[in-house]
Amino acid sequence: MTTHVRDAITVVHGPQGCTHHNFSLLHATSLDNDRIALPPLVSTGLSETDVIFGGEGALDRTLDTVIARDPGAVFVLSTCIVDTIGDDVGMVCGAKAGVPVIVVPTAGFLGGSFQTGVNNALIALAGMAGPADRNGGVNIIGEKNLEYEVEENFAEVSRLLALLDLSVNIRFVHDLATDRIASLGAARLNVLRDPSLIPVGESLKERFGTPYIPAYPVGISGTVAFLESVADTCGVDCRHAVEEEHMLRQQTLDDFADLAGAGIFFTPLPPDPEGSRVAQDIAQALRLDVTSSGCPVPVPVTPPVGIIGVRRLLHRWRRALHA
Amino acid sequence: MVMKQIALYGKGGIGKSTTSANLSAALSLAGYDILQIGCDPKRDSTRMLMQGRLIPTVMDQVRERGASGVTPADVVYTGFNGVRCVEAGGPEPGVGCAGRGIIATFQLLEKFGTLTGDVIVYDVLGDVVCGGFAMPMREGYAQEVYLVTSGELMSLYAANNICKAIERLSARPKSRCRLAGVICNAKNQPKEEELVAEFARRVNSHLVQFIPRDRVVQLAELNRKTVIEYEPDSKQAQIYRDLATHIMENPRFTIPTPLEIDDLEALAIEYM
Repeated sequence: MTTHVRDAITVVHGPQGCTHHNFSLLHATSLDNDRIALPPLVSTGLSETDVIFGGEGALDRTLDTVIARDPGAVFVLSTCIVDTIGDDVGMVCGAKAGVPVIVVPTAGFLGGSFQTGVNNALIALAGMAGPADRNGGVNIIGEKNLEYEVEENFAEVSRLLALLDLSVNIRFVHDLATDRIASLGAARLNVLRDPSLIPVGESLKERFGTPYIPAYPVGISGTVAFLESVADTCGVDCRHAVEEEHMLRQQTLDDFADLAGAGIFFTPLPPDPEGSRVAQDIAQALRLDVTSSGCPVPVPVTPPVGIIGVRRLLHRWRRALHA
Repeated sequence: MVMKQIALYGKGGIGKSTTSANLSAALSLAGYDILQIGCDPKRDSTRMLMQGRLIPTVMDQVRERGASGVTPADVVYTGFNGVRCVEAGGPEPGVGCAGRGIIATFQLLEKFGTLTGDVIVYDVLGDVVCGGFAMPMREGYAQEVYLVTSGELMSLYAANNICKAIERLSARPKSRCRLAGVICNAKNQPKEEELVAEFARRVNSHLVQFIPRDRVVQLAELNRKTVIEYEPDSKQAQIYRDLATHIMENPRFTIPTPLEIDDLEALAIEYM
């Protein structure tokens, strides 16, 4: 998350290996999403000597080096070893002036999951924003920057918001300039990527009074419900938008009507009940027969976002059926 | 002879370093080649063997020149009657990880081939506070652990805790770490010897040596010497020599049976 703040640098306070894994993962997914920049991720490179004598000096030196590069902000992530030996990360970071240095507690052994880390990072980043006048925009909160279709999914949500004459304020956090974080509280609505971000939504609601929609629309019927929910929250009229969306839904069913009656089999099996429900709904709407003897069709790890996501999925099913 | 490696554990301030230094001095005079390793960031284990000098510690050297820049000559110092002395040292109080410092020290000494001689005496920090301080009990190091305790409850409590560590470690495959005995470094309480002997029996061990409190120990320390060196003809010096003999001839190595705190208290009350 923090590496998506464009002019900020993220420092991982720990041995090099703790950074390497993140670095390669972020680099590889960036390439998949056509971003060729290296992630701005710096390790404090702790050695055994630092562990014995305390890693605060190494963090201090790394922060000085990094701050000399004049970043918009510095984010400091902790690791297991520094919390085990009791480095006072907050104290070292608090002593730096001129650039915001923000601590994100991420020592894995203290509990929590990948998602907890994401939520902690977003809440820490939100701490950089102050009160702001409403600007009528909508924030997108917690995009899955590692997912393959992150841009397509964002485009689909933007399309739906545009149907309601709403525009995006900031993508929090996706390729975001540090100074834009200040406008976080200006939005009239926050749209969360998925319900696991509700703690972030609640935190922003408490701080800025911004209501939130807990998830992107998924599946064949998600978009209409999403439009209604956004319109309801923002107090705007959605009748025209819903009408258009119904037409697009019907158009999609017509476009893939040739698949009707085919036997299909989901592979791999959807990873959770929601994924299963969404896949079943799509199959049912197209009158496909889900059976163990059917043709194997792919199901994504996260359910397809919006009608456009469903259309991309159906193209893949069609290719599988015609293969 | 086969190299003997022994470790002295006990509560802080109970007299481990005094006992260790006098033991090493006595063993060296008996003709053995001795290495004493102080495993405590406090670094004063070998001071009386070094005529009061606080020798540079392994961790000091590592901090100054990095592990690769340290040589054996930087960390091994020869003291009284040829006893080789090493202090592990550690980080400044309040930062870092002293336990890891002990592990790093052992790795460096292994690399140097320093862990040789007839007897290695490990003098270890007051209590088993983490895995690092249990290092001397681990595979390949001290197989004989001696508990140093007085008759005071807190001292017995610490000794009992170390029994728990030995019990745990001795259950591991290939572990040869055993409790070798209890040394009573007395505070001169009434019935102290009986109490500590009974404690030793209850944890499935035995009292190896009773060391009474004697002014000569303080006098020797003020003169920056071990009792063995300062007053070799004293009764106390003879007691340290007896300790050395008992340790060299000790055949009894056991897996301890630590007491519950209630039993320990009841035992202390019995001998009040």
